[in-house]
Amino acid sequence: MSTSPPIEESAPAPMTRRRFDTESPWVVNASRLILLIVLFALWEIGGGWLFDTFYFSKPSLIAKAFAKDIIDPAFYTDLATTGLELVLGYVIGGVSGIALGILLARWRFVGKICDPFLLALNSVPRIAVAPMLIVWFGIGYSSKVFLGATLVFFITFFNTLAGIRSVDKALCDIARVMQATEWQIFLKVMLPSASSWILTSIKISLPFALVGVILGEFLVSSQGLGFRLNTYSTNYNITGAMAIVFLMMVLMLLLTAITNAIEARALRWRPKSAAEPVAQS
Amino acid sequence: MNAASQAGGAELALAGVGKRFQARDRVVTALEATTLTIENGEFVTLVGPSGCGKSTLLNIISGLTFASEGSVRLDGNTITGVNRSVGYITQQDNLFPWRTLRENVALPLELAGVPARERRGKADHWLARVGLDGFGDAFPYELSGGMRQRGNIIRTLIYEPSVILMDEPFGPLDAQTRIVLQDMLLSIWESARSTIVFVTHDLTEAIALADRVLLMSARPGRIVRADRVNIPRPRNVFQIHEDPEFRRLYNEIWDELRVQVRNVDVAAH
Repeated sequence: MSTSPPIEESAPAPMTRRRFDTESPWVVNASRLILLIVLFALWEIGGGWLFDTFYFSKPSLIAKAFAKDIIDPAFYTDLATTGLELVLGYVIGGVSGIALGILLARWRFVGKICDPFLLALNSVPRIAVAPMLIVWFGIGYSSKVFLGATLVFFITFFNTLAGIRSVDKALCDIARVMQATEWQIFLKVMLPSASSWILTSIKISLPFALVGVILGEFLVSSQGLGFRLNTYSTNYNITGAMAIVFLMMVLMLLLTAITNAIEARALRWRPKSAAEPVAQS
Repeated sequence: MNAASQAGGAELALAGVGKRFQARDRVVTALEATTLTIENGEFVTLVGPSGCGKSTLLNIISGLTFASEGSVRLDGNTITGVNRSVGYITQQDNLFPWRTLRENVALPLELAGVPARERRGKADHWLARVGLDGFGDAFPYELSGGMRQRGNIIRTLIYEPSVILMDEPFGPLDAQTRIVLQDMLLSIWESARSTIVFVTHDLTEAIALADRVLLMSARPGRIVRADRVNIPRPRNVFQIHEDPEFRRLYNEIWDELRVQVRNVDVAAH
Protein backbone atom coordinates (compact mmCIF):
# COMPACT_ATOMS: atom_id res chain seq x y z
CA MET A 1 0.00 0.00 0.00
CA SER A 2 1.07 3.52 -0.40
CA THR A 3 2.60 5.11 2.63
CA SER A 4 2.49 8.65 1.48
CA PRO A 5 3.62 11.23 3.99
CA PRO A 6 0.76 12.80 5.92
CA ILE A 7 -0.52 15.95 4.35
CA GLU A 8 0.05 18.83 6.67
CA GLU A 9 -1.15 22.35 6.36
CA SER A 10 1.73 24.73 6.21
CA ALA A 11 2.28 26.77 9.35
CA PRO A 12 1.58 30.50 9.06
CA ALA A 13 4.66 32.53 8.26
CA PRO A 14 6.28 33.76 11.49
CA MET A 15 5.48 37.36 12.18
CA THR A 16 8.37 39.71 12.02
CA ARG A 17 8.96 40.92 15.56
CA ARG A 18 8.41 44.60 15.93
CA ARG A 19 10.27 46.52 18.56
CA PHE A 20 7.04 47.02 20.50
CA ASP A 21 5.19 43.75 20.09
CA THR A 22 1.58 44.39 21.11
CA GLU A 23 0.89 40.63 20.91
CA SER A 24 3.49 39.69 23.51
CA PRO A 25 1.98 38.80 26.89
CA TRP A 26 4.90 40.55 28.60
CA VAL A 27 4.10 43.84 26.91
CA VAL A 28 0.38 43.45 27.63
CA ASN A 29 0.89 42.59 31.31
CA ALA A 30 3.44 45.35 31.85
CA SER A 31 1.04 47.86 30.29
CA ARG A 32 -1.73 46.62 32.58
CA LEU A 33 0.47 47.09 35.63
CA ILE A 34 1.41 50.61 34.54
CA LEU A 35 -2.24 51.50 34.04
CA LEU A 36 -3.08 50.17 37.50
CA ILE A 37 -0.29 52.15 39.14
CA VAL A 38 -1.27 55.34 37.31
CA LEU A 39 -4.92 55.01 38.35
CA PHE A 40 -4.01 54.40 42.00
CA ALA A 41 -1.49 57.24 41.95
CA LEU A 42 -4.05 59.71 40.55
CA TRP A 43 -6.53 58.60 43.18
CA GLU A 44 -3.94 58.92 45.95
CA ILE A 45 -2.63 62.32 44.87
CA GLY A 46 -6.09 63.69 44.01
CA GLY A 47 -7.56 62.69 47.39
CA GLY A 48 -8.11 65.69 49.65
CA TRP A 49 -7.33 68.08 46.81
CA LEU A 50 -9.43 67.20 43.73
CA PHE A 51 -12.12 65.43 45.75
CA ASP A 52 -13.12 64.85 49.34
CA THR A 53 -11.66 61.66 50.85
CA PHE A 54 -14.73 61.44 53.07
CA TYR A 55 -16.75 60.45 50.00
CA PHE A 56 -14.15 58.80 47.81
CA SER A 57 -11.37 57.78 50.24
CA LYS A 58 -7.93 57.02 48.82
CA PRO A 59 -5.67 53.97 48.46
CA SER A 60 -3.46 54.62 51.50
CA LEU A 61 -6.51 55.03 53.75
CA ILE A 62 -8.08 51.89 52.32
CA ALA A 63 -4.88 49.95 52.96
CA LYS A 64 -4.86 51.16 56.57
CA ALA A 65 -8.53 50.22 57.01
CA PHE A 66 -7.80 46.80 55.59
CA ALA A 67 -4.86 46.37 57.95
CA LYS A 68 -7.23 47.12 60.81
CA ASP A 69 -9.74 44.59 59.49
CA ILE A 70 -7.27 41.74 59.32
CA ILE A 71 -6.30 42.02 62.98
CA ASP A 72 -9.97 41.89 63.99
CA PRO A 73 -10.97 38.27 64.86
CA ALA A 74 -14.58 39.02 63.85
CA PHE A 75 -13.33 39.72 60.34
CA TYR A 76 -12.35 36.07 59.95
CA THR A 77 -15.76 34.93 61.12
CA ASP A 78 -17.26 37.20 58.45
CA LEU A 79 -14.89 35.89 55.79
CA ALA A 80 -15.57 32.26 56.72
CA THR A 81 -19.34 32.84 56.83
CA THR A 82 -19.47 34.41 53.39
CA GLY A 83 -17.02 31.84 52.04
CA LEU A 84 -19.14 28.96 53.28
CA GLU A 85 -22.35 30.49 51.94
CA LEU A 86 -20.67 31.15 48.61
CA VAL A 87 -19.31 27.62 48.23
CA LEU A 88 -22.57 25.98 49.32
CA GLY A 89 -24.73 28.21 47.11
CA TYR A 90 -22.44 27.73 44.14
CA VAL A 91 -22.16 23.96 44.48
CA ILE A 92 -25.82 23.35 45.25
CA GLY A 93 -26.98 25.66 42.46
CA GLY A 94 -24.49 24.28 39.96
CA VAL A 95 -25.04 20.61 40.68
CA SER A 96 -28.83 20.89 40.69
CA GLY A 97 -28.82 23.07 37.57
CA ILE A 98 -26.67 20.63 35.61
CA ALA A 99 -28.61 17.63 36.92
CA LEU A 100 -32.01 19.07 36.02
CA GLY A 101 -30.68 20.28 32.67
CA ILE A 102 -29.51 16.76 31.85
CA LEU A 103 -32.77 15.27 33.07
CA LEU A 104 -35.00 17.58 31.05
CA ALA A 105 -32.84 17.27 27.95
CA ARG A 106 -33.11 13.47 28.15
CA TRP A 107 -36.79 13.54 29.02
CA ARG A 108 -37.88 15.68 26.13
CA PHE A 109 -41.61 15.65 26.77
CA VAL A 110 -41.29 16.81 30.37
CA GLY A 111 -38.65 19.29 29.24
CA LYS A 112 -41.02 20.88 26.75
CA ILE A 113 -43.73 21.17 29.38
CA CYS A 114 -41.43 22.73 31.96
CA ASP A 115 -39.59 25.16 29.67
CA PRO A 116 -41.96 28.16 30.00
CA PHE A 117 -42.36 27.69 33.74
CA LEU A 118 -38.64 27.73 34.30
CA LEU A 119 -38.26 30.78 32.07
CA ALA A 120 -40.96 32.54 34.10
CA LEU A 121 -39.29 31.60 37.39
CA ASN A 122 -35.96 32.85 36.15
CA SER A 123 -37.44 36.19 35.14
CA VAL A 124 -38.43 36.97 38.72
CA PRO A 125 -35.97 39.52 40.12
CA ARG A 126 -34.37 37.87 43.16
CA ILE A 127 -34.43 41.08 45.13
CA ALA A 128 -38.24 41.02 44.92
CA VAL A 129 -38.53 37.65 46.60
CA ALA A 130 -35.54 37.98 48.91
CA PRO A 131 -37.61 39.19 51.92
CA MET A 132 -39.88 36.14 51.51
CA LEU A 133 -36.85 33.88 51.43
CA ILE A 134 -35.78 35.33 54.77
CA VAL A 135 -39.23 34.48 56.13
CA TRP A 136 -39.03 30.93 54.76
CA PHE A 137 -35.41 30.11 55.48
CA GLY A 138 -34.77 32.29 58.51
CA ILE A 139 -32.02 34.82 59.02
CA GLY A 140 -29.26 32.23 59.20
CA TYR A 141 -26.99 31.27 56.36
CA SER A 142 -29.52 29.04 54.55
CA SER A 143 -31.39 32.01 53.06
CA LYS A 144 -28.11 33.37 51.62
CA VAL A 145 -27.11 29.98 50.28
CA PHE A 146 -30.51 29.68 48.63
CA LEU A 147 -30.28 33.13 47.02
CA GLY A 148 -26.85 32.37 45.60
CA ALA A 149 -27.96 28.91 44.49
CA THR A 150 -31.03 30.14 42.57
CA LEU A 151 -28.90 32.52 40.49
CA VAL A 152 -26.33 29.82 39.72
CA PHE A 153 -29.01 27.20 39.14
CA PHE A 154 -30.71 28.94 36.24
CA ILE A 155 -27.50 29.81 34.46
CA THR A 156 -26.15 26.25 34.60
CA PHE A 157 -29.57 24.75 33.96
CA PHE A 158 -30.34 26.67 30.76
CA ASN A 159 -26.82 26.19 29.43
CA THR A 160 -26.81 22.45 30.10
CA LEU A 161 -30.20 22.10 28.43
CA ALA A 162 -29.17 24.16 25.40
CA GLY A 163 -25.83 22.36 25.17
CA ILE A 164 -27.36 18.91 25.08
CA ARG A 165 -30.11 20.00 22.70
CA SER A 166 -27.62 21.53 20.28
CA VAL A 167 -25.64 18.31 19.84
CA ASP A 168 -24.72 17.59 16.23
CA LYS A 169 -27.17 14.96 15.00
CA ALA A 170 -24.56 13.59 12.59
CA LEU A 171 -22.34 12.61 15.54
CA CYS A 172 -25.25 10.77 17.15
CA ASP A 173 -25.87 8.94 13.86
CA ILE A 174 -22.21 7.89 13.69
CA ALA A 175 -22.52 6.28 17.10
CA ARG A 176 -25.92 4.82 16.20
CA VAL A 177 -24.52 3.12 13.08
CA MET A 178 -21.94 1.53 15.37
CA GLN A 179 -24.86 0.27 17.41
CA ALA A 180 -24.33 2.43 20.43
CA THR A 181 -27.11 2.12 23.00
CA GLU A 182 -29.15 5.24 23.78
CA TRP A 183 -27.30 5.43 27.09
CA GLN A 184 -23.92 5.28 25.32
CA ILE A 185 -24.99 7.98 22.88
CA PHE A 186 -25.92 10.16 25.82
CA LEU A 187 -22.73 9.44 27.74
CA LYS A 188 -20.23 9.51 24.88
CA VAL A 189 -21.78 11.97 22.44
CA MET A 190 -24.32 14.29 24.03
CA LEU A 191 -22.64 14.97 27.34
CA PRO A 192 -19.12 15.63 25.99
CA SER A 193 -20.59 17.76 23.23
CA ALA A 194 -22.45 19.84 25.84
CA SER A 195 -19.38 20.05 28.06
CA SER A 196 -18.22 23.38 26.66
CA TRP A 197 -21.64 24.91 27.38
CA ILE A 198 -21.70 23.44 30.87
CA LEU A 199 -18.16 24.53 31.73
CA THR A 200 -18.80 28.03 30.46
CA SER A 201 -21.92 28.29 32.61
CA ILE A 202 -19.99 27.08 35.64
CA LYS A 203 -17.48 29.83 34.98
CA ILE A 204 -19.88 32.70 34.35
CA SER A 205 -22.22 31.83 37.22
CA LEU A 206 -19.51 32.20 39.89
CA PRO A 207 -19.84 35.98 40.31
CA PHE A 208 -23.61 35.55 40.52
CA ALA A 209 -23.22 33.22 43.47
CA LEU A 210 -21.47 36.05 45.30
CA VAL A 211 -24.16 38.53 44.25
CA GLY A 212 -26.84 36.29 45.76
CA VAL A 213 -24.95 35.74 48.99
CA ILE A 214 -24.09 39.42 49.53
CA LEU A 215 -27.65 40.43 48.67
CA GLY A 216 -28.93 38.05 51.34
CA GLU A 217 -26.45 39.39 53.88
CA PHE A 218 -27.47 42.96 53.10
CA LEU A 219 -31.10 42.21 53.92
CA VAL A 220 -30.75 40.49 57.27
CA SER A 221 -27.60 39.12 58.83
CA SER A 222 -25.36 39.31 61.85
CA GLN A 223 -22.16 38.18 60.20
CA GLY A 224 -20.52 37.89 56.80
CA LEU A 225 -18.63 40.21 54.48
CA GLY A 226 -21.93 41.67 53.26
CA PHE A 227 -22.88 42.42 56.85
CA ARG A 228 -19.52 44.11 57.49
CA LEU A 229 -19.77 46.09 54.27
CA ASN A 230 -23.30 47.17 55.09
CA THR A 231 -22.28 48.21 58.60
CA TYR A 232 -19.41 50.32 57.26
CA SER A 233 -21.44 52.07 54.59
CA THR A 234 -24.43 52.82 56.82
CA ASN A 235 -21.95 54.43 59.23
CA TYR A 236 -20.52 56.58 56.39
CA ASN A 237 -17.24 54.66 56.67
CA ILE A 238 -16.53 54.78 52.93
CA THR A 239 -12.91 53.78 53.42
CA GLY A 240 -13.84 50.62 55.33
CA ALA A 241 -16.52 49.76 52.77
CA MET A 242 -14.06 50.18 49.91
CA ALA A 243 -11.57 47.89 51.61
CA ILE A 244 -14.22 45.15 51.68
CA VAL A 245 -15.21 45.84 48.05
CA PHE A 246 -11.58 45.48 46.99
CA LEU A 247 -11.27 42.29 49.01
CA MET A 248 -14.31 40.84 47.24
CA MET A 249 -12.90 41.89 43.89
CA VAL A 250 -9.58 40.17 44.54
CA LEU A 251 -11.27 37.03 45.87
CA MET A 252 -13.47 36.80 42.79
CA LEU A 253 -10.49 37.30 40.48
CA LEU A 254 -8.70 34.43 42.20
CA LEU A 255 -11.72 32.13 42.03
CA THR A 256 -12.30 33.05 38.38
CA ALA A 257 -8.69 32.23 37.61
CA ILE A 258 -9.30 28.78 39.06
CA THR A 259 -12.46 28.18 37.02
CA ASN A 260 -10.70 29.52 33.91
CA ALA A 261 -7.87 27.07 34.39
CA ILE A 262 -10.30 24.18 34.87
CA GLU A 263 -12.17 25.20 31.72
CA ALA A 264 -9.00 25.54 29.66
CA ARG A 265 -7.80 22.12 30.78
CA ALA A 266 -11.13 20.42 30.10
CA LEU A 267 -11.61 22.09 26.72
CA ARG A 268 -8.10 21.64 25.39
CA TRP A 269 -9.60 19.88 22.37
CA ARG A 270 -10.94 23.19 21.12
CA PRO A 271 -8.87 25.24 18.72
CA LYS A 272 -7.41 28.35 20.30
CA SER A 273 -9.69 31.17 19.30
CA ALA A 274 -8.32 34.14 17.46
CA ALA A 275 -9.39 36.30 20.40
CA GLU A 276 -6.82 34.70 22.69
CA PRO A 277 -3.46 34.63 20.97
CA VAL A 278 -1.31 31.64 21.83
CA ALA A 279 1.28 32.58 24.40
CA GLN A 280 4.64 32.88 22.70
CA SER A 281 7.77 34.31 24.33
CA MET B 1 -14.68 -12.81 -10.88
CA ASN B 2 -12.69 -14.82 -8.40
CA ALA B 3 -13.28 -12.24 -5.66
CA ALA B 4 -15.99 -14.27 -3.98
CA SER B 5 -13.57 -17.00 -2.96
CA GLN B 6 -11.57 -14.68 -0.71
CA ALA B 7 -14.29 -12.15 0.05
CA GLY B 8 -14.76 -11.00 3.62
CA GLY B 9 -17.99 -9.19 2.87
CA ALA B 10 -21.61 -10.08 2.49
CA GLU B 11 -24.11 -10.20 -0.31
CA LEU B 12 -26.42 -7.23 -0.36
CA ALA B 13 -29.78 -7.68 -2.05
CA LEU B 14 -32.26 -4.85 -2.58
CA ALA B 15 -35.76 -5.87 -3.60
CA GLY B 16 -38.02 -3.07 -4.79
CA VAL B 17 -36.56 -0.57 -2.34
CA GLY B 18 -38.17 2.86 -2.69
CA LYS B 19 -38.59 5.99 -0.61
CA ARG B 20 -41.35 8.56 -0.69
CA PHE B 21 -42.08 11.35 1.69
CA GLN B 22 -44.81 13.88 2.21
CA ALA B 23 -43.79 17.47 1.50
CA ARG B 24 -46.64 19.84 2.32
CA ASP B 25 -49.32 19.05 -0.29
CA ARG B 26 -47.53 16.54 -2.47
CA VAL B 27 -45.70 13.26 -2.23
CA VAL B 28 -42.08 13.41 -3.30
CA THR B 29 -40.37 10.30 -4.57
CA ALA B 30 -36.76 10.34 -3.45
CA LEU B 31 -36.01 6.87 -4.73
CA GLU B 32 -38.03 4.76 -7.15
CA ALA B 33 -38.41 1.06 -6.42
CA THR B 34 -34.92 -0.32 -6.97
CA THR B 35 -33.94 -3.94 -7.30
CA LEU B 36 -30.26 -4.71 -7.20
CA THR B 37 -27.90 -7.38 -5.99
CA ILE B 38 -24.37 -6.56 -4.93
CA GLU B 39 -22.10 -9.56 -4.67
CA ASN B 40 -20.06 -10.50 -1.67
CA GLY B 41 -16.80 -8.57 -1.88
CA GLU B 42 -17.92 -6.39 -4.78
CA PHE B 43 -16.94 -2.73 -5.05
CA VAL B 44 -19.87 -0.80 -6.48
CA THR B 45 -19.90 2.93 -7.16
CA LEU B 46 -23.03 5.03 -7.55
CA VAL B 47 -22.87 8.16 -9.70
CA GLY B 48 -25.59 10.61 -10.53
CA PRO B 49 -26.66 14.23 -10.34
CA SER B 50 -27.14 15.78 -6.92
CA GLY B 51 -30.43 15.08 -5.24
CA CYS B 52 -30.90 11.81 -7.12
CA GLY B 53 -31.43 9.76 -3.99
CA LYS B 54 -27.94 8.29 -3.65
CA SER B 55 -27.68 9.25 -0.01
CA THR B 56 -31.25 8.10 0.60
CA LEU B 57 -30.27 4.68 -0.70
CA LEU B 58 -27.26 4.52 1.64
CA ASN B 59 -29.35 5.66 4.60
CA ILE B 60 -31.81 2.85 3.94
CA ILE B 61 -29.09 0.20 3.62
CA SER B 62 -27.48 1.44 6.84
CA GLY B 63 -30.78 1.12 8.67
CA LEU B 64 -30.81 4.78 9.72
CA THR B 65 -33.97 5.44 7.68
CA PHE B 66 -36.65 3.06 6.55
CA ALA B 67 -37.75 2.36 3.00
CA SER B 68 -41.34 3.16 2.08
CA GLU B 69 -41.43 -0.10 0.13
CA GLY B 70 -39.30 -3.12 -0.53
CA SER B 71 -36.64 -4.77 1.59
CA VAL B 72 -32.88 -4.94 1.99
CA ARG B 73 -31.27 -8.29 2.70
CA LEU B 74 -27.79 -8.92 3.93
CA ASP B 75 -26.72 -12.51 3.21
CA GLY B 76 -30.41 -13.35 3.16
CA ASN B 77 -31.32 -11.60 6.42
CA THR B 78 -33.65 -8.61 6.17
CA ILE B 79 -32.19 -5.40 7.63
CA THR B 80 -34.55 -3.94 10.20
CA GLY B 81 -32.35 -1.31 11.80
CA VAL B 82 -28.76 -0.25 12.34
CA ASN B 83 -26.44 -3.15 12.26
CA ARG B 84 -22.77 -3.56 13.02
CA SER B 85 -22.37 -5.54 9.80
CA VAL B 86 -22.92 -2.31 7.87
CA GLY B 87 -20.43 0.53 8.27
CA TYR B 88 -21.15 4.04 7.04
CA ILE B 89 -18.51 6.60 6.08
CA THR B 90 -19.82 10.08 5.41
CA GLN B 91 -18.53 13.03 3.43
CA GLN B 92 -18.01 15.12 6.55
CA ASP B 93 -15.37 13.39 8.64
CA ASN B 94 -17.49 13.86 11.77
CA LEU B 95 -14.67 12.98 14.11
CA PHE B 96 -15.63 13.79 17.69
CA PRO B 97 -13.76 17.03 18.38
CA TRP B 98 -13.24 16.24 22.06
CA ARG B 99 -11.51 12.92 21.37
CA THR B 100 -7.97 12.43 20.19
CA LEU B 101 -7.51 10.77 16.82
CA ARG B 102 -6.74 7.45 18.52
CA GLU B 103 -9.81 7.68 20.74
CA ASN B 104 -11.91 8.50 17.69
CA VAL B 105 -10.63 5.53 15.75
CA ALA B 106 -11.17 3.23 18.73
CA LEU B 107 -14.73 4.48 19.35
CA PRO B 108 -16.58 1.51 17.81
CA LEU B 109 -14.47 -0.90 19.88
CA GLU B 110 -15.13 1.14 23.00
CA LEU B 111 -18.88 0.99 22.32
CA ALA B 112 -18.63 -2.78 21.99
CA GLY B 113 -16.83 -3.07 25.32
CA VAL B 114 -13.40 -4.09 23.99
CA PRO B 115 -10.74 -3.67 26.73
CA ALA B 116 -8.67 -0.48 26.59
CA ARG B 117 -5.33 -2.14 25.86
CA GLU B 118 -6.69 -4.09 22.90
CA ARG B 119 -8.47 -0.97 21.58
CA ARG B 120 -5.28 0.99 21.68
CA GLY B 121 -3.29 -1.71 19.91
CA LYS B 122 -5.82 -2.03 17.10
CA ALA B 123 -6.20 1.72 16.71
CA ASP B 124 -2.43 2.19 16.48
CA HIS B 125 -2.21 -0.61 13.92
CA TRP B 126 -4.78 1.09 11.69
CA LEU B 127 -3.27 4.54 12.18
CA ALA B 128 0.07 3.19 11.02
CA ARG B 129 -1.55 1.49 8.07
CA VAL B 130 -2.81 4.79 6.67
CA GLY B 131 0.34 6.75 7.48
CA LEU B 132 -0.99 8.45 10.60
CA ASP B 133 1.47 6.97 13.09
CA GLY B 134 2.52 9.61 15.56
CA PHE B 135 -0.77 11.49 15.26
CA GLY B 136 -2.78 9.34 17.67
CA ASP B 137 -2.73 11.95 20.43
CA ALA B 138 -3.67 14.88 18.19
CA PHE B 139 -7.12 16.42 18.39
CA PRO B 140 -9.10 16.68 15.13
CA TYR B 141 -8.67 20.46 14.88
CA GLU B 142 -4.91 19.95 14.72
CA LEU B 143 -5.14 17.73 11.62
CA SER B 144 -5.55 18.50 7.94
CA GLY B 145 -8.71 17.54 6.03
CA GLY B 146 -7.01 14.55 4.43
CA MET B 147 -5.74 13.26 7.76
CA ARG B 148 -9.15 13.63 9.36
CA GLN B 149 -10.77 11.76 6.50
CA ARG B 150 -8.28 8.89 6.89
CA GLY B 151 -9.22 8.78 10.56
CA ASN B 152 -12.89 8.74 9.60
CA ILE B 153 -12.33 5.82 7.23
CA ILE B 154 -10.33 3.64 9.61
CA ARG B 155 -12.81 4.37 12.39
CA THR B 156 -15.21 2.26 10.34
CA LEU B 157 -12.68 -0.29 9.06
CA ILE B 158 -11.49 -1.08 12.58
CA TYR B 159 -14.65 -2.99 13.48
CA GLU B 160 -14.63 -4.89 10.20
CA PRO B 161 -18.18 -4.48 8.95
CA SER B 162 -18.91 -6.80 6.02
CA VAL B 163 -20.59 -4.01 4.05
CA ILE B 164 -19.16 -0.50 3.93
CA LEU B 165 -21.21 2.41 2.66
CA MET B 166 -19.26 5.49 1.60
CA ASP B 167 -21.03 8.76 0.83
CA GLU B 168 -18.64 10.93 -1.18
CA PRO B 169 -15.88 10.37 1.34
CA PHE B 170 -13.29 12.21 -0.73
CA GLY B 171 -15.63 15.00 -1.84
CA PRO B 172 -14.17 17.84 0.23
CA LEU B 173 -10.52 16.96 -0.45
CA ASP B 174 -8.16 18.45 -3.00
CA ALA B 175 -7.40 16.47 -6.15
CA GLN B 176 -4.00 15.12 -5.07
CA THR B 177 -5.08 14.05 -1.59
CA ARG B 178 -8.07 12.41 -3.20
CA ILE B 179 -5.98 10.17 -5.43
CA VAL B 180 -3.70 9.22 -2.55
CA LEU B 181 -6.70 8.19 -0.47
CA GLN B 182 -8.29 6.31 -3.39
CA ASP B 183 -5.10 4.32 -3.69
CA MET B 184 -5.07 3.70 0.05
CA LEU B 185 -8.70 2.56 0.03
CA LEU B 186 -8.13 0.15 -2.86
CA SER B 187 -5.14 -1.51 -1.27
CA ILE B 188 -7.02 -1.98 2.01
CA TRP B 189 -10.07 -3.30 0.21
CA GLU B 190 -8.01 -5.70 -1.86
CA SER B 191 -6.79 -7.39 1.30
CA ALA B 192 -10.06 -7.30 3.29
CA ARG B 193 -12.55 -7.73 0.41
CA SER B 194 -15.55 -6.32 2.16
CA THR B 195 -18.54 -5.29 0.07
CA ILE B 196 -18.40 -1.57 -0.70
CA VAL B 197 -21.10 0.78 -1.95
CA PHE B 198 -19.42 4.07 -2.78
CA VAL B 199 -21.30 7.22 -3.79
CA THR B 200 -19.49 9.90 -5.76
CA HIS B 201 -20.02 12.83 -8.09
CA ASP B 202 -16.76 12.16 -9.82
CA LEU B 203 -16.98 9.78 -12.76
CA THR B 204 -13.22 9.24 -12.90
CA GLU B 205 -13.25 8.14 -9.28
CA ALA B 206 -16.30 5.95 -9.87
CA ILE B 207 -14.65 4.01 -12.70
CA ALA B 208 -11.19 3.89 -11.13
CA LEU B 209 -12.44 2.19 -7.97
CA ALA B 210 -15.33 0.02 -9.04
CA ASP B 211 -16.11 -3.46 -10.19
CA ARG B 212 -19.43 -2.04 -11.31
CA VAL B 213 -20.57 1.54 -11.87
CA LEU B 214 -24.25 2.28 -11.35
CA LEU B 215 -25.64 5.47 -12.87
CA MET B 216 -28.65 7.06 -11.23
CA SER B 217 -31.13 9.42 -12.85
CA ALA B 218 -32.22 12.82 -11.68
CA ARG B 219 -35.11 12.84 -9.22
CA PRO B 220 -37.04 10.64 -8.90
CA GLY B 221 -33.91 8.55 -8.47
CA ARG B 222 -33.56 5.20 -10.17
CA ILE B 223 -30.70 3.21 -11.62
CA VAL B 224 -30.58 3.83 -15.37
CA ARG B 225 -27.37 2.11 -16.29
CA ALA B 226 -24.91 -0.42 -14.91
CA ASP B 227 -21.43 -0.97 -16.32
CA ARG B 228 -18.93 -3.60 -15.34
CA VAL B 229 -15.38 -2.26 -15.18
CA ASN B 230 -13.04 -4.82 -16.68
CA ILE B 231 -9.80 -3.13 -15.76
CA PRO B 232 -7.56 -5.71 -14.02
CA ARG B 233 -6.60 -5.32 -10.39
CA PRO B 234 -4.53 -4.19 -8.61
CA ARG B 235 -5.14 -0.92 -10.40
CA ASN B 236 -2.94 2.10 -10.53
CA VAL B 237 -5.26 5.01 -9.81
CA PHE B 238 -2.48 7.47 -10.60
CA GLN B 239 -2.30 6.28 -14.21
CA ILE B 240 -5.79 4.95 -14.81
CA HIS B 241 -6.85 7.77 -17.11
CA GLU B 242 -4.43 6.35 -19.71
CA ASP B 243 -6.16 2.98 -19.80
CA PRO B 244 -8.17 2.49 -23.06
CA GLU B 245 -10.93 0.56 -21.27
CA PHE B 246 -11.20 3.42 -18.79
CA ARG B 247 -11.55 5.96 -21.62
CA ARG B 248 -14.15 3.95 -23.46
CA LEU B 249 -16.28 3.54 -20.32
CA TYR B 250 -15.82 7.13 -19.29
CA ASN B 251 -17.08 8.48 -22.61
CA GLU B 252 -20.01 6.10 -22.71
CA ILE B 253 -21.20 6.79 -19.18
CA TRP B 254 -20.53 10.50 -19.49
CA ASP B 255 -22.87 10.77 -22.50
CA GLU B 256 -25.64 9.42 -20.32
CA LEU B 257 -24.66 11.32 -17.16
CA ARG B 258 -24.60 14.60 -19.07
CA VAL B 259 -28.27 14.12 -19.96
CA GLN B 260 -29.15 13.43 -16.32
CA VAL B 261 -27.24 16.42 -15.03
CA ARG B 262 -29.02 18.65 -17.58
CA ASN B 263 -32.37 17.33 -16.36
CA VAL B 264 -31.60 18.50 -12.87
CA ASP B 265 -30.68 21.88 -14.23
CA VAL B 266 -33.95 22.17 -16.12
CA ALA B 267 -35.99 21.03 -13.15
CA ALA B 268 -34.35 23.61 -10.93
CA HIS B 269 -35.24 26.53 -13.17
